[in-house]
Amino acid sequence: MQLVLRFVLVYGRRYVPQYALGLLLLVLTNYAVVRIPTLIGRALNVIEGSGVEALASTRALVVELMVWACVVVVVRTVSRILFFNPGREIEYRLGVDLFGHLLTLQRPFFLRRKVGELVSVATNDTQSVRLLVGFAGLQVCNVAVAIPMHVMQMLRTDAALTAWCLIPVLLGAMYMRSTIRRFHGLVKKSLEELGALSDRVLESYAGVSTVRAFGVEEAIVARFEVRNREFFELAMRVAKIRAFSMPALTFSGLIATAIVLWVGGDRVIAGELGVGDLATFTALLVSLVSTLTSLAWVLAAVSRGSAALRRVQEVLSTSDGLPPATSSKRVDKPPRLELCDLSFHYGEGQDLAISGISATVRPGGMLGIFGRTGAGKTTLIELLARLHTPPRGCVRLDGVDIVDIPLAELRRGSAVVGQHAFLFSTSLRDNICLRGVSAKRSPWRDLEAEAGGGAVAEAGAERGAEADAEGDAEGDAELERVLRAACLERDVELLPQGLDTLVGERGVMLSGGQRQRTALARALYRRPALLLLDDILSAVDQGTEAQLVAAIRSIRSGDGAGTPTTVIVSHRTSVLEQADEILVLDEGRVVERGTHAQLLVRGGLYADSHAARESGGAR
Amino acid sequence: MSAEARPTGSGARGALLLLRRFWRFARPHRSWVYLGISVIPLVSALAMWRPLLIKEAVDIQIPGRDFDGLRTLALWFVAAVVLEFGAQAVQVYALQRSGHASIADLRQAVFRHVLRMPARFFDRHPVGSLLSRTTHDVQTLSETLSFGVFTILTDVAMIVTILAAMFFLSAKLALISLSAAPFLVMVVRYFARVLRGLQLEVRRAQGVQTGYLAEQLGGVSVVQLNGREDAARRRHSQLGERYLRATKLANVFDAVLFSVMDGVSTFCVALLIYVAAPEVLLGSEAITLGLLFAFVDYLQRIFVPIREFSNKIATIQRAVASLDRIFGLLDEPSETRASPGICVPTSSSLPPSDPLENWKGRVRVRGLAFGYGGEGGEGGEGGEVLRGVSFDIAPGEVVAVVGRTGSGKTSLARVLTRFYDGYRGSVQLCSAEACIEVRDIEPDRLRRRVLMVTQDVFLFDDTVSYNVSLGDPDIVHDLAGIDAALRAVQVDSMLLGRGGRELQVGERGRQLSGGEAQLIAFARVAVRQPTLLILDEATASVDDQTEARVQSAIEGLVRGRSVLIIAHRLSTIVHADKILVMHEGRIVEQGSHGELLAAGGRYAALHRSGFSDRAGA
Repeated sequence: MQLVLRFVLVYGRRYVPQYALGLLLLVLTNYAVVRIPTLIGRALNVIEGSGVEALASTRALVVELMVWACVVVVVRTVSRILFFNPGREIEYRLGVDLFGHLLTLQRPFFLRRKVGELVSVATNDTQSVRLLVGFAGLQVCNVAVAIPMHVMQMLRTDAALTAWCLIPVLLGAMYMRSTIRRFHGLVKKSLEELGALSDRVLESYAGVSTVRAFGVEEAIVARFEVRNREFFELAMRVAKIRAFSMPALTFSGLIATAIVLWVGGDRVIAGELGVGDLATFTALLVSLVSTLTSLAWVLAAVSRGSAALRRVQEVLSTSDGLPPATSSKRVDKPPRLELCDLSFHYGEGQDLAISGISATVRPGGMLGIFGRTGAGKTTLIELLARLHTPPRGCVRLDGVDIVDIPLAELRRGSAVVGQHAFLFSTSLRDNICLRGVSAKRSPWRDLEAEAGGGAVAEAGAERGAEADAEGDAEGDAELERVLRAACLERDVELLPQGLDTLVGERGVMLSGGQRQRTALARALYRRPALLLLDDILSAVDQGTEAQLVAAIRSIRSGDGAGTPTTVIVSHRTSVLEQADEILVLDEGRVVERGTHAQLLVRGGLYADSHAARESGGAR
Repeated sequence: MSAEARPTGSGARGALLLLRRFWRFARPHRSWVYLGISVIPLVSALAMWRPLLIKEAVDIQIPGRDFDGLRTLALWFVAAVVLEFGAQAVQVYALQRSGHASIADLRQAVFRHVLRMPARFFDRHPVGSLLSRTTHDVQTLSETLSFGVFTILTDVAMIVTILAAMFFLSAKLALISLSAAPFLVMVVRYFARVLRGLQLEVRRAQGVQTGYLAEQLGGVSVVQLNGREDAARRRHSQLGERYLRATKLANVFDAVLFSVMDGVSTFCVALLIYVAAPEVLLGSEAITLGLLFAFVDYLQRIFVPIREFSNKIATIQRAVASLDRIFGLLDEPSETRASPGICVPTSSSLPPSDPLENWKGRVRVRGLAFGYGGEGGEGGEGGEVLRGVSFDIAPGEVVAVVGRTGSGKTSLARVLTRFYDGYRGSVQLCSAEACIEVRDIEPDRLRRRVLMVTQDVFLFDDTVSYNVSLGDPDIVHDLAGIDAALRAVQVDSMLLGRGGRELQVGERGRQLSGGEAQLIAFARVAVRQPTLLILDEATASVDDQTEARVQSAIEGLVRGRSVLIIAHRLSTIVHADKILVMHEGRIVEQGSHGELLAAGGRYAALHRSGFSDRAGA
């Protein structure tokens, strides 16, 4: 609860005037809501009182009733808007803050948390928070105002009858509360079950060729049916609550109406109550019951909202874990890269993923890393890219500890291509020009280009073309050069819209080799001073491989000073032939080192592997 | 699956047709539907009756000072309330039950149907969209069925009975007090239409934003490594603004709609009192005080369903859209089957005998041509990938196929297992008596005899044992058989101490190494003993020890049956009885290893370069 209050204080502060006005209008609304049945009752009383002279006073009451009818429309509308819209804005701001923060978090965080889970926090949880500050806010205030006003009006009409009526209504309300708690428990469970069902469907569809190859379709359907039935059973439990427990509060309200008839009727006969007051009472009861019903829902919304808020806050308060950057080193010329006794483990108590690695690469030089799967090659690249923060003093660029270099500067000057080429669902062009020749591009161009290819597919081609027209000739020439270097020219020609073809998950599926070459093109386009390549040629055939290796060695870094300092990982010896030095890793340690020729002569792991490939055996 | 034509146009007619088709799934549960519907009149009659009781009290018992009569009335009132509560509960439960049950059946039907789609279908449809068809669309439908369709019936019944009661009591008052209703209906319809459009926009905007978010987070390190954070933030908040604008506007309309109801209902009551007061005061027979009581009650209730009505129409429209997509999927032609599933009620007409009963593994391929574009060769992007292939496999013969990527090796395997239809030329499975064309054999029959093992092994998140049997009812209880198969491929010792055949392999087989996964795929074959085995040898590297096991497992598997191996390993190729060298969709050389090397052609060249090819999969 404290958390909720602190949150409301931070995010809700700027909406205080809106909330205050909303609250005022809410009071007015409830006054009208209570006033209307009272007027109806009074009118009926007057009519019962007979006499034609009463006609004038009913007319006056009718006019007042109509006025209140209009007032209620306006006041209720405005108060709802005043309460709900800040909720929407808070949801929006929270979403923006959350995404912004997520982008500052580093690899260790994303290893802990699944993307799907984070997406759910950013969408479902912020929505629950919105309900908390909008809907729940309104209802809590409403209930706080409405219940006393209703009860007071009822008491003023007849205290004894009020006491009688409130008994079933309160019992009903208490039962409703526990019902809704049960209901939400079940809904949560059935959502989980739906998730499990989806997983099973996804798994079966993903493995459909296996299913078909072995002709076990019916068996797989039976396996699916287990989950399907379980989901059905849960849905039925929810349905039972819906059918038998949910209407309990309304039911108790109707029982209270029967009491009005029984007890109230007696009192009317006894002359202690006007007959119109019975109508007032019934109407107030109906309105009270609906208020209580929403109270029960609100309590649930509050508990879910604060749980959601806790999850959102947890993410927001996660720090990026980056050490403060103290150096003003610029990474625009190929740097000298030094590794001094570099060791790293992924967490306390875990084995060292790599240990005691030392090497020096001259500016513009090339370090090759060779090893089997699990040897620690990727870990090494990720440390150099600072996806993980290496221990202090172990990695230096031109003598400056890499940990001290501001991350933005390091990344501006370096290009990293990972093992699994990730493409965004935008045009191929935008995927390659992710950053462009940064200085020449205004942020506006960036945004425009992205909007062109972004998720809004229909607008894509049009805006892409627009950006194209604006595109500076130099950028195009650069792009062509890069496409040629990455052997992508022919592939682009074959794509339906060439460079403007949407790729990625929502676009044309490129082959593994094409994706790798696109990722390489992306890196080449950036003219980095430091180039880190993690086994990026694994899905490329031999002929292309040679061309790509040549391309990698022929690029010039940003200022045209020379080839970038390059670290290249591969499990193919052919890729590493040109490296100044090759480290052969096994279980995180350097087991051999030297140039290609030296390693072949020495006859260890590297030479064996090379020989195996040459003779055409297993790779 | 169904002979009925799928309505292409939208509109009420199309919607009705879709709902009629859906009835096929609801029929088995119709007793619940009937039960639920049958109590609707009872519920509305009781709800209509309650105000009449109050009217009687006000008009008769109270002025007559009849205490006992009043008590009786109150008890009647309680009885009506209890009965209404019970009937309504039954109604809600019965309708939800029928809805959920038919939805579960529909979901199963969609799932089963997708599993039987030919491979071409999966080339066109990403798994994600199929998943959303099977779960999300069906779920949307379920929500509608439980709330939309039948509650509309309830609402209509309620409105009709209330109107009937009002007109019965006093047609004049009913007309006057409802004079605001047409106005209200118009306002509600207008607002609801705008609101529906806005809600659509809200959902769309949200979908786009969520999609963007998911993708950026999925590739977050690419975003960070390329310094794209600011651009991503800007784009994200831009998308968020679109969502925000739509929701805020929707809020306004929603608030107005909500409040107008209250106002109109009060307004009608005022009108009623204005008109009725003189009559009551003059002591009219027809219009009594009690009547006013009843009318006030009716007026407070009759407008609520009108407000809800348009919401419900909107959910029904959503459901119709979902149904349209679902039936669109179900209408895609599936592969034929010799033994139909449970959902197709024609199991009596099983073909009498298995044409492959005496087949020993002889295969005769003549002039085989094939392209992925389709049967008519309607200009698929790649054109033909097999262009006149002819060869034979003798019973028990091991034939290796070699060639560069794209030479047609994998396509050959896909045609032989009928994964892809639409070849030209002839592919025949020959027994002593006769030859039968592959395209004439139902896929499920064919795949009992012809098994294919592909490079990328797919493992289900279940036990090793399950992954060998794949739930096949003939195998799943034959634990001895499964053990024997695991032993045969030498994976049993690797699983020792980890749970053996009961080891949970984890999602996509995460608990197993690549080599172990390969071996389990072999065990699947070993336990089934196919007549013809098609093996796409893995190119991925595994460690030396596993490599040795894989090799010897392959040697064990090929023994005693016809085998077609798409080979990458020299050792496998050398041991083959016959080698087919493929190039650009043709067999350019065939013979034994020695013969082909001696010939010094393409095979010799391939041999020199180490048979290496990795591109494509």
